Amino acid sequence: MGSRSSHDLETDVAIIGGGTAGLNSAMAAAQAGCRVLIVDKANIVHSGAIAGGIDHFMAFLETGEPWDTREAYLGWVGSVARGAADLEVQEAVYCDELKEALERVERIGVSLRQPDGKIFRTAALGQPGPYAINFDGKKLKPKMAIEVRRRKCRVLNRVQVTNLYLHDGELAGFTGFDIRSGDFYRIRAKAVVIATGNTNRMFNAQVGNPFNLWYCPANTGDLHRAAFDAGVALANMEYVRMTIVPKGFSTPGFNAFFGMGAQLVNSLREPFMKNYHEMGNKAPRNFIVWGALQELKEGRGPIYMDCGHLKAKDLEHLFRTLGIDKDTLPEFLLAKGYAKDGAMIEMTVSEPMQARPSEVCGSGIRIGRDCASNVPGIFAAGDASDQMGCLHMATAGGFAAGRHAAAYAKKTAHRRPLATKAMAEEQARVFRPLERKSGSTYREFETIVRQICSDHFGPVKTELSLKAALEKLGRLDAARDELKADNLHELMRTHEAMNIHAVSKISATAALARRETRFPPYHYRADYPLSDDENFCGLMVIQKQPGGDVTTRLDKLRYAG
Amino acid sequence: MPAVIDASKCNGCELCDLYCPLDVIHMEGEVAVVRYPDECWHCGACRQECARGAVSFRFPLAMLGV
Ligand SMILES: Cc1cc2nc3c(=O)[nH]c(=O)nc-3n(C[C@H](O)[C@H](O)[C@H](O)COP(=O)(O)OP(=O)(O)OC[C@H]3O[C@@H](n4cnc5c(N)ncnc54)[C@H](O)[C@@H]3O)c2cc1C
Ligand code: SF4
Ligand code: SF4
Repeated sequence: MGSRSSHDLETDVAIIGGGTAGLNSAMAAAQAGCRVLIVDKANIVHSGAIAGGIDHFMAFLETGEPWDTREAYLGWVGSVARGAADLEVQEAVYCDELKEALERVERIGVSLRQPDGKIFRTAALGQPGPYAINFDGKKLKPKMAIEVRRRKCRVLNRVQVTNLYLHDGELAGFTGFDIRSGDFYRIRAKAVVIATGNTNRMFNAQVGNPFNLWYCPANTGDLHRAAFDAGVALANMEYVRMTIVPKGFSTPGFNAFFGMGAQLVNSLREPFMKNYHEMGNKAPRNFIVWGALQELKEGRGPIYMDCGHLKAKDLEHLFRTLGIDKDTLPEFLLAKGYAKDGAMIEMTVSEPMQARPSEVCGSGIRIGRDCASNVPGIFAAGDASDQMGCLHMATAGGFAAGRHAAAYAKKTAHRRPLATKAMAEEQARVFRPLERKSGSTYREFETIVRQICSDHFGPVKTELSLKAALEKLGRLDAARDELKADNLHELMRTHEAMNIHAVSKISATAALARRETRFPPYHYRADYPLSDDENFCGLMVIQKQPGGDVTTRLDKLRYAG
Repeated sequence: MPAVIDASKCNGCELCDLYCPLDVIHMEGEVAVVRYPDECWHCGACRQECARGAVSFRFPLAMLGV
């Protein structure tokens, strides 16, 4: 590793995580006239959830159809994300921003249309009408990366952010290290937007490989953990999200399959979803996962995605779309021997991940209508915030977050200082695993965390199981000081593993406080198997207090109807 | 092995190394090498960027056999 340098940088607005949301935030902050620095642990040309492509953008388009309005959309959000979506925030971060977001995507060179120039939308996930614009987003991430360069944003690729620092209760800056050179960064900013996605690798994966995941395995809750330690309030952290994936390969595709009319069948060739929800295969995702889990548990598995009844042109569209969303999925299906015509594809329930309970909210930093957290100077967007989820909200809300962060930076006269002692301590902490000659590896440590989470809350939870998980996760604290890394790649993974461990504690603690079931199986408390709107219709907010105590509170949410 | 690089086709342009979101590919001299195959997310970014067609995918038995 030789000599490692360190660098001191300053900016107006820093974007931590240059994924879908973060790059939109960067565009907005630059447009507002701020100096912008984007920091990502990978390279923003292909990083995060949509590194390999994306295929659906959810939108209401005011076409005159009764379901195609802001009110109908919010009605849908209120019904499928009841108790998790704060509609006042959603109106501001999504509805008010949507028109411009759609125009922006097309302006940077990604068409939302089919080759015939028309918008083609499909319905699934409990939607009252077809909200999901099907499009070819293979190049969306590279095009956004070009756009932020065009807007003169500065980019630090391959820098993993390790901690956030406050001064007198307000943001001062953050630290990070270059995963290839080992250079250490101290960065002061007037405002930051945290956009580092959700937390993956926390639960056992279907064929035992923790990188064979539905969501991006590089997103490991690094900034959920850092923000939490800095006193930032988090919400929706109790949820454990799953989907339906091809057996053997955890990929997206749910929306494409069900949007085009495919159906799940059990081994008796029975379509079973109507037994679990009146909308059948068009039900919200958690109901489909619940139905699939019951079929498997009751011995009617394997389950299959039946596409046999689809028209040839719809099948063609479906398979093309699957390959846009997950580049390697079509060849995987071929390698498994599925013929395109009338395929019966064996499916299963994916690994759980710590994330939002619905497409239309997030899980993480509690934000208000201005995307601000409770700590002045810290803003959040995308999957890392408690209110934004999926492409449509990361795009629309990411931009809103950047604009609000810029406004805050502009009225902040001075950057706050980073304490020299804290910087020296963090630098020593970050690199310590490289100095250890013996100890455990991140692989071993992470495997234990995953096993504990899977055994005790992945996904079925009770007070007893959560307490057992917290006790075991607590006992692992000592092992954090024994982790060793042989090189910088392993050093990055070691910090990720420690963050996954920390987030799993936050998640279990929040789950303990929600003494009801909501969005089963995403928060299924076997000891409180029913939903209790009277006491729990709202956000479970979890926060570390200045003295170090962790507290939870419920922010109640109200919905019409 | 998930992403597989055909060394005879690789011209050492480094793009796959640069853009892999999981830091799986590293240059070794003039050739790109899949150093952490177990950590490949099968996202296809490396293949999309490779102008030489040097990247292909070989799904492990664990994925195909279950
Ligand atoms: C394969 C796939 C397909 C999908 N398809 C659709 C779809 O068709 N339609 C839809 O609406 N939604 C879809 N989704 C969901 C949607 O893509 C995500 O919700 C959205 O992109 C999240 O954006 P984000 O900016 O919050 O996170 P990401 O885009 O994942 O960005 C997070 C960024 O943070 C960086 N990062 C993480 N930790 C650190 C750290 N410590 N320091 C620095 N940087 C860090 C990562 O490298 C990454 O670039 C899909 C998701 C996946 C995984
Ligand atoms: S992108 Fe292709 S040609 Fe370039 S280094 Fe990688 S494998 Fe070699
Ligand atoms: S498929 Fe994705 S994760 Fe795997 S090596 Fe290529 S770029 Fe990296």
